Amino acid sequence: MKLWEYIIYRLVLAIVVIFFVITIVFFVSRVIPSDPAALWVGAHPTPEEIEKAKEELHLNEPLITQFYYYLRGLLHGDLGISIRTHHPVLEDITKAFTATLELIIVAEFFAVIIGIVLGVYSAVKKDSWIDNLGRLFAISGVSLPAFWFGMVLQLLFFRQLGWLPLSGRVDTIVMLEHPLHVITGLYILDSLITGNWVVFKNAIWHIILPALTLAMYPVGLITRQARSMMIEVLQENYIRTARAYGLPERIIYMKYALKNAIAPALIVVGLSLAYTLVGAFLVEIIFNWPGLGRYATYAILSMDYPAIIGVVIIAASAYVFINLIVDLIQMYLDPRIRV
Amino acid sequence: METKVLVAVIVVIVIIAAVGAYFALSGEKKEKPATPSTVIYGYNVEMITLDPSTEYSNSIVMLPNLYEALTKYVNGDIKPWLATSWEVSSNATVWTFHLRENVKFHSGNPLTAEDVKWSIERTIRMGLGASFIWDPVKEVKVIDDYTVEFDLKYPYNLLVSTSAAYAAYIMDSKFLSQKGNDAQIAEYLNEGHDAGSGPYYLTSYDPKTEVVMKKFDDYWGGWNDKQFDIAIIKIVPDASLREQMVTSNEIQITRELPLDDIPTLENNPNVKVDATPNYQELYAMLNTVKPPLNNKLVRKALAYATPYQDLVEYVLNGYGEVAKCPIPKGMSGYFEDLPTYTYNLSKARELLNESGYSGGFHFLLTYNAADVAEKKVAEFLKSSWSKIGVDLEVRAMNWEQQWALGRSDPQKAQDVFIFYWWPDYLSPYDFLATMFHSEEETYFNLCYYNNSEFDDLVDQALILEGIDMQKALSLYHEAEEILMEDCPALCLYYPEDVYVYSNTITGFRDNPAYPQVVFFYELQKTS
Repeated sequence: MKLWEYIIYRLVLAIVVIFFVITIVFFVSRVIPSDPAALWVGAHPTPEEIEKAKEELHLNEPLITQFYYYLRGLLHGDLGISIRTHHPVLEDITKAFTATLELIIVAEFFAVIIGIVLGVYSAVKKDSWIDNLGRLFAISGVSLPAFWFGMVLQLLFFRQLGWLPLSGRVDTIVMLEHPLHVITGLYILDSLITGNWVVFKNAIWHIILPALTLAMYPVGLITRQARSMMIEVLQENYIRTARAYGLPERIIYMKYALKNAIAPALIVVGLSLAYTLVGAFLVEIIFNWPGLGRYATYAILSMDYPAIIGVVIIAASAYVFINLIVDLIQMYLDPRIRV
Repeated sequence: METKVLVAVIVVIVIIAAVGAYFALSGEKKEKPATPSTVIYGYNVEMITLDPSTEYSNSIVMLPNLYEALTKYVNGDIKPWLATSWEVSSNATVWTFHLRENVKFHSGNPLTAEDVKWSIERTIRMGLGASFIWDPVKEVKVIDDYTVEFDLKYPYNLLVSTSAAYAAYIMDSKFLSQKGNDAQIAEYLNEGHDAGSGPYYLTSYDPKTEVVMKKFDDYWGGWNDKQFDIAIIKIVPDASLREQMVTSNEIQITRELPLDDIPTLENNPNVKVDATPNYQELYAMLNTVKPPLNNKLVRKALAYATPYQDLVEYVLNGYGEVAKCPIPKGMSGYFEDLPTYTYNLSKARELLNESGYSGGFHFLLTYNAADVAEKKVAEFLKSSWSKIGVDLEVRAMNWEQQWALGRSDPQKAQDVFIFYWWPDYLSPYDFLATMFHSEEETYFNLCYYNNSEFDDLVDQALILEGIDMQKALSLYHEAEEILMEDCPALCLYYPEDVYVYSNTITGFRDNPAYPQVVFFYELQKTS
């Protein structure tokens, strides 16, 4: 199979998967007894308002017709109107998603650097105190709840030391005095493009704690993966040969061992990306980050089904495409998979 | 190459560390977000819509800062706001308001009677939100630039509507008419614009993150240099985060903090705690048509088996009061002399025996899962009522689900519905009729109570309100006596609104007629 055929095959598969996800979520969220019309009109409505809302939302029609309306809208790129916020879901999600994306990118950046460095050193200094420390770090990263870790960071770096801000993406006053021209929705990137250094500094400042919190889990995964792969590779014959040739240890580790150990570690990065999307739900609440997690939480709590389905589509797509990209990268890095 | 990778990694780490150190040392931490002229209100839910004609939800926290109504409730009295004085005909069907002169809208247009007519008529025409407060109005007439007359269909106390927290605001008609028809105007406003005459105008609106308002220099009330130039409403859903923020002065005022933490905050020198009774009441609505609670004796037994004072202590940490009648304390229609139920287990058992249910029974209570207080109430009632041998099942539901069940067939619905009511307009009718007046189709009468004597009394009282308030109140008193006797609902408690604010601000006064609103104009810097 040619590469592009493979990609198309995977894409078609992805669309089928996403379609099933949409169908399931649509019907499940609608079968649960709730009253979208009541949500639409808010507290203390009159009977006339409820009736009006039912018509507007097509709630009087059979579920299957409603599903048809939804799919028809979806084909036109319309995810419907959120029942809770009365805003187009697509607009809401795009905005929230860029905030989450920024957080995830920075978190993964932290995770990869810390994870690989820690993993490689743990492997090289196997069973030393560095290795033990690395193990402790990795286990706590995977097992400590993000909300707890986030609060500890807040207490330490905001309350005690006063080094980092408590929450939010950027200070209100900073935004007022130095308005940011939003292009991509990623504040760090936007401020960099427009040369708005004050906001740039402020945004970086704000993202450190939530990104570190979110990075904890992938750090643990990557550290463990990098360590075990590195240990495995270091026992290979070619490494022994390299040692026999008297090559410096550093060259052996960095040039010969790491290259072969890093491919499996990359899969973990890809998988953990999907995890961070979920982890962001909690982290965003703690740090008041106006992202997808917060949006989804509200949508679920209030049974705002267009918003729920919208979030699910985004999350499912992200999962599917990240997996695809990881597979492609792996094919590129490891010729054995290409056959 | 091998060393290059290592060097690159080290360089990246060093850069991150250096950037961090640079920020740490450059004194960024001293840049507190609250510069002297800014006040930030940390609010727990997002804004939804912004059109004063239809808004009936959380954006109430913004509206009275951007817009003004004809009259305003202050400490239970009606005070002038955009109207300086008013007259009413003897039969309470013609109301004349004299407007404040030299009031300017944010566009610079002067306020005239035409704006009042236009605003109220638009609200009535759109027929959404709380527009029903204008139901009695037949016609709004412009007498001259500063006089406006309301002709009513029947006698009614119109001041209740002109002071309402929703649907009563006056908009800049000349400015908004240019934006197109009602729907186009709504769209324009909901995008984040205002057209009011209030002390602040809207400068930036992100309904999920924050709302920024600046002071309106030409405000008719004038300004002093202690007041704030910029007022911000910041959306922070997490309560413990809001608590951290207010104690470190990242925000200056907030509410809805965990009640368990309030005693600690009272001892915190950086903040002040303000607890004011609000016009809210929590009820346990009893299903009066489905056995066993269709038996009055059983309902009374439950009423006597409820330890009200302990409930207030346990659920509200004392920040509230036991309810004495179906109307919140401080509102008209609140009477202290009504016969009430007090905790009396032996009496409860006696009544239960008399009812023939001495063997106990199983029944269902529903509550709003999102409300921590309701959860505690539900659990508390379960354990309290088990002492008279009845078995309560408590079920957490989201509000829409809970209400949907409540409106379904009463014979299959819940037996007890934990329910809040707060006023849409400050009349006893809003409470008594909404929850206890008979309904063809269930709406908010979630006790399914049906008593024509009661219905007649409150209907008459509403009409009398505009003519003879004393007479109206005596009818309401009679109606409430019937309720207490029939016991379709248990009046549980009056919660207090607890605000926590930084000691860098002063002048805050909770106005329960405008729930959750912080009137930024009243706030002042302390230094």
